[in-house]
Amino acid sequence: MTRKEIWVVVERIDDEIEDVSLEILGKLTVLAKSSGYKIVGIVLGTAKETVLREVIRYGADRVILLKHERLNEYSNDLYSKVLFDLASSEFPTALLIGATYYGRDLAGRLAARLRTGLTANAINLEMDEEGLLIFGVPAYGGKIMAEIVCERARPQMSTVRPGTFTKVYDRDRKGETVELIPDLSSVQDRVRVIERKVTKSKDLTKSERTIVGGNGIGGDISLIRKLAELTNSDVGVTRPLADKGIAPRELQVGTTGYSLKSKLTLILGVSGSEHFTSGIRDCGTVISIDIDKESEIFNHSDYCVVGDVSEIVPAVIKKLEEKR
Amino acid sequence: MRNIIVCLKVVPKSENIIFDPVTKRLDRSKAENQINEADKTAIEIALRIREKQGGRVILLSMGPPLFENFLKLGVAMGADDAILLSDRNFGGADTYPTALVLSTAIAQIGNYDLVLAGEESSDAALGQLPGQIAEFLDIPQVLFATSVEAEGEKLRVKRRIKGGHETVETSLPVMVSVEMGAVQPRFPDFKKMKWALSQFHLTVWSSRDLGLREEVTGIKGSFTFVRGLSEITPSRRKRVFIEGDVAAKSAKLAELLRERPRT
Ligand SMILES: Cc1cc2nc3c(=O)[nH]c(=O)nc-3n(C[C@H](O)[C@H](O)[C@H](O)COP(=O)(O)OP(=O)(O)OC[C@H]3O[C@@H](n4cnc5c(N)ncnc54)[C@H](O)[C@@H]3O)c2cc1C
Ligand SMILES: Nc1ncnc2c1ncn2[C@@H]1O[C@H](COP(=O)(O)O)[C@@H](O)[C@H]1O
Repeated sequence: MTRKEIWVVVERIDDEIEDVSLEILGKLTVLAKSSGYKIVGIVLGTAKETVLREVIRYGADRVILLKHERLNEYSNDLYSKVLFDLASSEFPTALLIGATYYGRDLAGRLAARLRTGLTANAINLEMDEEGLLIFGVPAYGGKIMAEIVCERARPQMSTVRPGTFTKVYDRDRKGETVELIPDLSSVQDRVRVIERKVTKSKDLTKSERTIVGGNGIGGDISLIRKLAELTNSDVGVTRPLADKGIAPRELQVGTTGYSLKSKLTLILGVSGSEHFTSGIRDCGTVISIDIDKESEIFNHSDYCVVGDVSEIVPAVIKKLEEKR
Repeated sequence: MRNIIVCLKVVPKSENIIFDPVTKRLDRSKAENQINEADKTAIEIALRIREKQGGRVILLSMGPPLFENFLKLGVAMGADDAILLSDRNFGGADTYPTALVLSTAIAQIGNYDLVLAGEESSDAALGQLPGQIAEFLDIPQVLFATSVEAEGEKLRVKRRIKGGHETVETSLPVMVSVEMGAVQPRFPDFKKMKWALSQFHLTVWSSRDLGLREEVTGIKGSFTFVRGLSEITPSRRKRVFIEGDVAAKSAKLAELLRERPRT
């Protein structure tokens, strides 16, 4: 029998929990309110008490800690082993994972081993009376949303796009913590990490004001960095700029980057492909500059300026500097 | 290096797909098809590894007969062989039976050291198939790779992680998915293209050739179903055009940018 439980794999680096894990919990607190389903956070490694408490405050009714030194860092082989063992003995209704690089790395193997369906990159989540989850997934570059269900197998599995749902924090929420020590003596990690390079950059999903540059800025982002500084904004880019290494991948907006929720977004030299515009859907005011008056980006903008970025941006900078 | 197998998919260009909001159906008839961009990157990586380490590059795809010419395009890029997995029963598959069919074929090809795929397909955008294939083959996986180097019995891969990169090492055989644009794919050779279209014999395997029962493939073997489609409507934007010369436009922009964001 499946348990009336929805599990969330909580991704973390040391004491810092990935936002997407908390966002999924937040969405579930809303969904589960009327349904009687329990929300369970699965934490791996030797996480501190404070981490477990946070998982509860953000929405979990129960936290299961799979406690083992070897689980402190993500490993496809080890994570899929312990999560398979746990899920196949406890049988939750659903198992959700953030669509981060690690999350997507894990989800495929785990779903295959559990012999269940897997939905990817959900941006919407609903539940019917029978506990069937309806996953909303962008398809064809974000033009269309497909509603996907998994009727024939449990747990229903999906990854969830970061930045889609809202965290819900409740200081007073109470929950239970269970500690399990998995047996890892027989599992080998077949992928050995030799080097890791991570730059701590600003998390774009939290940005209040963003200036996004596309191919139309001509390969040099120093100008928009300056404008960003003057207007207290963060910088984002389209994928081609990240591909070319003009800006780091963490600044990429769109289906394979981040979704913005900025109150004010300025978009410079971007053609408005669906892969990109899906990432600005939840923005407040959107202003765009493009040299082509037919640019699709204008259909996604509140204020449209037809013009050359290399001409207008310096003029704007000058205006802003004058009046400071 | 033993066989290098590249999984590739043919996808419609998304800008040509028309959604009919009334019938809620997709019209793909006007859509031009192409090899999924990231899979082309995977072919290029395979060819470069073969140039250094030897081995045979075999292209593998599950799909309808229309995929044939695209596999031949891959042969014209330099692949040694191509196999299409095609069967009526394979239709409507979600990732589970797709991975099952592909991994069964990979096992049947045998003698492989490396299985390559793209990071994700532009029409499905799941990116989770490679992990499923790796599971069925019981081999390790490295996904979202930006560089792949073979060193004797080992593979050294740089992969994308949040906020940066990891360099990892694995033993062979291994499944690797590669990022679109990690290397620039070469163009198909014109002479080879002519040869591929006229002389090259493409292998086609059906479910029977793979020894797979009908119930485990295609729509019958799938766990997920698309229950409905809807158009994602862009949030209603004002689309106010700011007119005037550069000075007027930049003055208005400066004003908009100076405003405190509403909270
Ligand atoms: C699987 C997959 C995933 C993808 N994921 C993403 C993603 O997450 N994010 C993303 O952004 N893209 C993504 N893409 C790519 C996407 O489809 C587009 O190719 C990309 O968004 C285009 O970027 P762009 O608008 O910067 O460039 P272009 O399409 O080249 O547009 C440049 C624009 O700048 C304008 N311009 C040129 N010069 C000037 C000037 N001097 N002044 C003003 N305007 C000028 C042009 O008129 C044009 O509108 C993905 C693609 C695939 C296949
Ligand atoms: N039908 C298919 N046949 C062969 N390879 C495929 C097929 N579908 C997906 N792939 C491979 O799996 C990768 C990831 O696809 P997806 O999980 O659909 O995003 C693609 O880039 C291809 O390399």
